[in-house]
Amino acid sequence: MNEKNTKCDLTLVDQIIEHYRARKWPLIPILQEIQNESGFIPPEAIEPIARALNMFPSQIQGVITFYSQLYTEPRGKRIVRVCRGTACHVRGGKTILKLAKQHLGIEEGQTTLDMEYTLETVACIGVCAMAPNMVIGKQTYGHLNPKKVSQIFGDSTNARG
Amino acid sequence: METITITLNGREVSGHPGMTVLELADESGVNIPTLCNDSHLAPFGACRICLVEDERSGALMASCVTPIASGMVINTESARVLERRKIIVKLMLASHPDSCLVCDKGNRCELRRIASESGIGLVEFQKIPQPSLIKEVNPFLERDLSKCILCAKCIRADHELVVEGVIDYIRRGFTSRPATLNDSALEKSDCTFCGTCVAFCPTGALMEKERPYAGTTNRTVTTICPFCGCGCGISLEVKDNTIVRCRPDKDSPVNRGTLCVRGSYGYDFVHSSERLTQPLIKVNGDFKGSSWEEAWDLVATELGRIREADGPESLAVLGSPKCTNEENYLLQRFARCVLGTNNVDNSSRLYSAASRKGLGWNLGLPGTTGSLENLEQSDAILVVGADPTSSAPLVGYAIKRAVRYRGAKLLLVDPRRTKLTAFAHLWLKPKVSTDVALLNGLARLIITESLLDEEFVTRRTDNFEAFRQGLETYTLELAEEITGVSSQELRSAAQIFAAANQASIVFGKGVTQHITGTDGVMALANLAMLTGNVGHGSGGIYALQGDSNGQGACDMGVLPSFLPGYQFVDDPQTLKRFADLWGKCDPTGAGLTALEMIEQAREGRIKAMYVVGENPAASFPHLALVREALASLHFLVVQDMFLTETARLATVVLPAASFAEKEGTFTNFEGRVQRLHKVIDPVGQSLPDWGIILQLAKRMGYPMPYSSLEHIMDEIEELVPFYQGTGYTDSEMKGIYRAEFGNPPPGARRLYKGQFPSGFGRFSPVHYVPNRELSKDGYPLTLITGTSLYQFGSGSRTSRASRLNRFLPEAPVDISNIDASHLEINEGDRVKIVSPSGQISAKARITDTVTEGMLFMPIAFPESPVNALFDIDLDPQSKTPSLKACSVRLERIDSHE
Repeated sequence: MNEKNTKCDLTLVDQIIEHYRARKWPLIPILQEIQNESGFIPPEAIEPIARALNMFPSQIQGVITFYSQLYTEPRGKRIVRVCRGTACHVRGGKTILKLAKQHLGIEEGQTTLDMEYTLETVACIGVCAMAPNMVIGKQTYGHLNPKKVSQIFGDSTNARG
Repeated sequence: METITITLNGREVSGHPGMTVLELADESGVNIPTLCNDSHLAPFGACRICLVEDERSGALMASCVTPIASGMVINTESARVLERRKIIVKLMLASHPDSCLVCDKGNRCELRRIASESGIGLVEFQKIPQPSLIKEVNPFLERDLSKCILCAKCIRADHELVVEGVIDYIRRGFTSRPATLNDSALEKSDCTFCGTCVAFCPTGALMEKERPYAGTTNRTVTTICPFCGCGCGISLEVKDNTIVRCRPDKDSPVNRGTLCVRGSYGYDFVHSSERLTQPLIKVNGDFKGSSWEEAWDLVATELGRIREADGPESLAVLGSPKCTNEENYLLQRFARCVLGTNNVDNSSRLYSAASRKGLGWNLGLPGTTGSLENLEQSDAILVVGADPTSSAPLVGYAIKRAVRYRGAKLLLVDPRRTKLTAFAHLWLKPKVSTDVALLNGLARLIITESLLDEEFVTRRTDNFEAFRQGLETYTLELAEEITGVSSQELRSAAQIFAAANQASIVFGKGVTQHITGTDGVMALANLAMLTGNVGHGSGGIYALQGDSNGQGACDMGVLPSFLPGYQFVDDPQTLKRFADLWGKCDPTGAGLTALEMIEQAREGRIKAMYVVGENPAASFPHLALVREALASLHFLVVQDMFLTETARLATVVLPAASFAEKEGTFTNFEGRVQRLHKVIDPVGQSLPDWGIILQLAKRMGYPMPYSSLEHIMDEIEELVPFYQGTGYTDSEMKGIYRAEFGNPPPGARRLYKGQFPSGFGRFSPVHYVPNRELSKDGYPLTLITGTSLYQFGSGSRTSRASRLNRFLPEAPVDISNIDASHLEINEGDRVKIVSPSGQISAKARITDTVTEGMLFMPIAFPESPVNALFDIDLDPQSKTPSLKACSVRLERIDSHE
């Protein structure tokens, strides 16, 4: 994922609405596009979307909160997804998650204060042969052990500067 | 019509295409239980209780969302159906608290009823913990979502009927529930507390919060809401002699399951401790309780004495648009036959006289031309000078439904942002008091661009040529210059209105309460006739009424220039007809209108007044002057439920029964005559107004020969052609909606197929006159008044309705950000509003609903009577006072003072 704004840019929201509003069923594409551009759907965007689509703000909120991949809060530049699937579990996925929490200093579902990382878990990423696994951004890390985890986050921390 | 036949529980039944299995079963007398279905809402299929089995396929289907299909073999009570239904109900109960014993929903709970009917005892499933009560501070309703069964009735009623959109589902799965935006408390949302969701909720999840009276009710009486002119049916639930709860009457064709906050929560003024319980007589400046005999004798003697000494023209009677038709009819007969004067008027003079005059002149029909249902079917709706979402909420609902669900285009003419603005296709913001120029501009454009309905104009109307010539100067450029609305917007409004197949016009006090109010109404009527939108199909003119019986009081002839049924007082033949029936009808020539009575009282020409159910000392303009005039009377009798501002000035105060304590009829703004039913006994010694008037007439030597209200209505039907067929033909007085609205008898007031009463509609050239009142030196701001949802009329009832009053006890004055910062006023500051006629104080509310130079204040707040700021300026045609806009200045009241 590219670097995202963490602030709400309403002119951007308006542009996205204009681009999609004439389409059939434009709500989901609008929400996805706003999230693609901003990293999340700012609550301030609900009102203009509702107005443009002749819907109630409560309905827009209903759709956003229904889909787990739509977010109403800013998220980190990189999403850390620790696999909690069965294969990873038996190979120590639980410990990997614990280490990730320690390194990042946050709980599951939270974002680091510098907005670099958001920590999540995922049921299975489909590469069980490499268990235990973790995905950061678009990069998958397999055959994890405590040392590797330290290296990964150590590197990233260094990269952050 | 095509029919579809299915087999239902072994019996062949037929329905029409599109019908659901549930609807057909209902029609065939087969009961299928359901929790989420309601005839006022679109089928939703949430609760799955209404399962039925298709015996051919063995499929179990939710009957509320299954359309009937030819050859279906449906079983509604097969073993499988009953078993599955039982499981579904048990699952609901597993996530429902076992608090039925103390739940106020009690025996009204539909979940409990269905559980009991399904024979469910203890539920063996593991309990699912549920969220707890949501903390709300509003006094109206509370949400205990642990009792929510996710039927979505509240959400659907909100979206489909009230069209407010405050709540919707949030999240999904186990955590899903109805919530406001940002999951905030209701009072922080756009909720209008109409109570509709509470009425729809099948369980105890949504309940009245502060119940003035608790307990299991033992009776429900259906009657009519006493507040605005919509005339909603309400069901009052009663325990002993106390009203415990008010719900919308689901069968009412007016409100169809909805209500507004006043209807749902405003009724408890009936039980206010301030109700008058016995007659009062002022002795040496203090009121002393008296007996009815004493009070009646004193009133009869004094009125008789003054009539003898100073003549009948020294007497005046002010009737009430809150009293029933029967009472108003008696009152005008009392004035004309007993007192012998035409000085009789009612306070709908303050808002609807201009529409009676304007529509009466142009269309020959002094009122609304269509029904709410027709309004909702319009393709374009022009709303001028009205905020129906506050003043006539049911009209607001109808407009919002038309826009959101039928694609109607709303053309909104209002200088101020209201709840309707968000629904407007086009929002024109003219300068205050420039409606006539705007409407003439539209009319001219429609003619010059040949958008008019030529056939209608040629065949149904006259005086078109004079009208067309009168419009010549109103070019788009001139209209733009006067109104400040761009010619582009004007053009597009004219095109939309003219192009619509069925276009309707809704107007309110923003048109009528100006000194050019009648001209404004005529300009609207011209526009309607020009586009052929009078009386055919859906198009029509909707004149909002301020009170529950504003229309009826006028229909009954509580007017100085009209006998019942708008028959002229100076027509000798009419007079003779009435005199023959009444024994006498002496007064000739038009009497005084409401404000003229006050003026003449001040000048000493009116010596005594009989005021019934009205509060001029709080609702008329220039209150200081009105109070002075009333205080100077030799004799003032006030008949009311409370010791109002006016009653305090009286010599004798007669305690009147409330709407809930009497029978009778109200005529709503559509012209629908509806029955009131007695719910409780009169409070204390209070009596219904009709009883008091009859006694007074008797004691003044003119007993009126009525044995019952039915008898009075019979006479009304005889005298007022368009009330025929509205009476108490049903001996048990059951049929509450007497007027056969969709299919009126001959003589009814609807304009059928555009047939005007006199054969032709009449165009009236009207001209824009600048309002000089709005540019006074030293008063730089323009104050606009309007109705709030939470106070009503003169505030005498709503300020005594505990919940309404507590929610919004104080009138806010809306001010724009620019003016506020210029005057260094902060949100919530107390400010003084000063006009040449008076001053009041209020709390500043900074908002973007008003623009720079504009203030807005709601009427009816007793502590901040905004009418006090107005001078008595009458529309010369209708004698309606200007009460909508005046120039003021604002002063900050420093807190340390």
